Amino acid sequence: MSELTQTPALSQPLRAESAAYGFHPPSQAELMAELGLKSRPGWTSRLPSGLAAFVTNGKGMVGVIILLALILTALFAPLLTSYDPNRRAGKPHVQPGYEHVMGTTRMGKDVFTQLVYGGRVSLAVGMGAGLAAAMIGLALGISAGYFGGRTDDVITFFVNVVLVLPGLPLIIVIATMVETAGPMVIGLVLALTGWGWAARTIRTQTLALRAREFVLAAELMGEKKWRIILIEIFPNMLSFVMGGLVLGTIAAILAEAALEFIGLGDPNAVTWGTMLYWGQKNLALQSGAWWEIWPPCIAIMLTGAALVLINFAVDEITNPQLKASRKIGRIRRFLSRRGRSADVF
Amino acid sequence: MIFLARRIAFYIGAFFLAVTFNFFIPRLMPGDPSARIIASFQGRLNESQVEAIRKSYGLTGSLWEQYITYVGSILRLDFGISTVQFPEPTASLLFYGATWTLVLVGLAIFFAFIIGSFMGIHAAWHRGGFFDSFFTPINVMLNAFTPAIVALLLFYAFSLQLQWFPLGRAHSTSISPALSFEFIGNVLYHATLPVLSIFLVSFGGWHLGMRNVMINLLNEDFVILAKAKGLSDRRVRYRYVARNAILPQITALALSIGFLLGGALVTEQVFNYPGLGKFTFTAIGSRDYSFIQGQLLLLTASVLVANLLSDIANVILDPRLRT
Repeated sequence: MSELTQTPALSQPLRAESAAYGFHPPSQAELMAELGLKSRPGWTSRLPSGLAAFVTNGKGMVGVIILLALILTALFAPLLTSYDPNRRAGKPHVQPGYEHVMGTTRMGKDVFTQLVYGGRVSLAVGMGAGLAAAMIGLALGISAGYFGGRTDDVITFFVNVVLVLPGLPLIIVIATMVETAGPMVIGLVLALTGWGWAARTIRTQTLALRAREFVLAAELMGEKKWRIILIEIFPNMLSFVMGGLVLGTIAAILAEAALEFIGLGDPNAVTWGTMLYWGQKNLALQSGAWWEIWPPCIAIMLTGAALVLINFAVDEITNPQLKASRKIGRIRRFLSRRGRSADVF
Repeated sequence: MIFLARRIAFYIGAFFLAVTFNFFIPRLMPGDPSARIIASFQGRLNESQVEAIRKSYGLTGSLWEQYITYVGSILRLDFGISTVQFPEPTASLLFYGATWTLVLVGLAIFFAFIIGSFMGIHAAWHRGGFFDSFFTPINVMLNAFTPAIVALLLFYAFSLQLQWFPLGRAHSTSISPALSFEFIGNVLYHATLPVLSIFLVSFGGWHLGMRNVMINLLNEDFVILAKAKGLSDRRVRYRYVARNAILPQITALALSIGFLLGGALVTEQVFNYPGLGKFTFTAIGSRDYSFIQGQLLLLTASVLVANLLSDIANVILDPRLRT
């Protein structure tokens, strides 16, 4: 970086011109300051390019940090609280204070304890279901796109059916038929109903990749089909799989909370959704016990926001035009200060 | 027209898959609905009584006969008898609830799609500007705040604390339903908060979708040519770019209706609104299977109709499909 920041030696005619107009060409450091650009820290260049693009994306990193913080508090729950999430820990509806950081529920259970332990289940179910849905989508999407023909027709039909059937009402039917829908059952159902979008985007991408020369070359070399899929096509799909994973996780966490909130889950499990369910059932808001409702709400909102930020980063990496558009305001101002038209952008 | 015919064939197929799913799920589960009722009599029923109960649930005869009877009754809009509001037929409850749900979802989609799309057009046109870099992430984050939470927040702030809006119901009990300004005004007043909460969690999606599609279109040759011809900004923005960007949005709109209906189910629960969600909630509590299955079929049918409408809209807007 350092040798680049020095002003390059100017050619003779240009120097004469700039002297005539009293104009000094700006150094690269000045230009970068004017465009609001910072040079990347050196260690990012040693990372693989995909990871480097992610690490240098501000929004994405904020999301990763929030998500990591939530995961860590859930993992280290026993160290953060000495109460048992399933047992009465004090009088009902104690206000937040020294004894109970976030107060107690109407049953006298400690809200903070339930929040950190509930995070374990909610995050695990959400991420597990998101991962499973992304994997199903990946497998079906690549097979449909690569094999084509009859396979493609059949898979595309099922993808469209899954996309068209309304998710929550379908899950309601399954969950009521199962005697008690614990978090595992809910996660499984969400995984089985949530792979539509991932399969569709990955199929489209595979169709585009299949026509490219490197896949043709591998086919002509007589490589096996599974090897072409795994070695040639799959690495180019990683960012789409990431996108599917993030979107699937958002959908699963929100759907799990919604299902448990309307009373379809196992009411004895401690999750963010069942905390909301009990709060609503015990009329916590109406009786002024806001601390029973807001902590799980804020936890779910933070998780959603973090995943959305990560998804923004993934979007910008897969679609560079979106990333370029972020800087375009500064570039326009830069050009218009120099009297150039910025209309072409 | 071949395009539309193929889509209609697909929708009929999808609907029958939902019907088949509804038929097999209770029969695959260990305890079917009739077993629960029979068990509640603790063996005091004789053989013919058990048979009668099983027959009323359509559980007699071979599987194929049962299936034919089931499909036949669905096509006659006969969803069975509700066990909660006995002996009200499930179908009339379903349609009563669906009317109110449609009011909520219809209003919310209308505002969310129009406002979200215009925000997306604005953000894409001035991409990288303040509006784009500030509101795009905020709106999309709102999208990830599940309807349950937004509804709870609004309910707490405006119904409980400020008491600007009612605590429940679709209209005041003192006003009888009629096509008068007073009644419609009252319904809109009661619908404001539920509609607002569905609106808040959905318009960010239209904003982001419109913005991303528009940004990819802005570098296309036809846009540059339109600008080079000296057409006004407005004309390029709406007639050239937005018209092309709206096509995938309309398809996405139809597909999102299932998600919005799900959101409405939860929102109604918070606002005690007498739509499908409220009834479904009661049905879940008392294991009223005919209603729970009915709501799936009704919602599936409405999503399919919405998809068909979006296909027709696509044919009208996109001349390439008119072959």
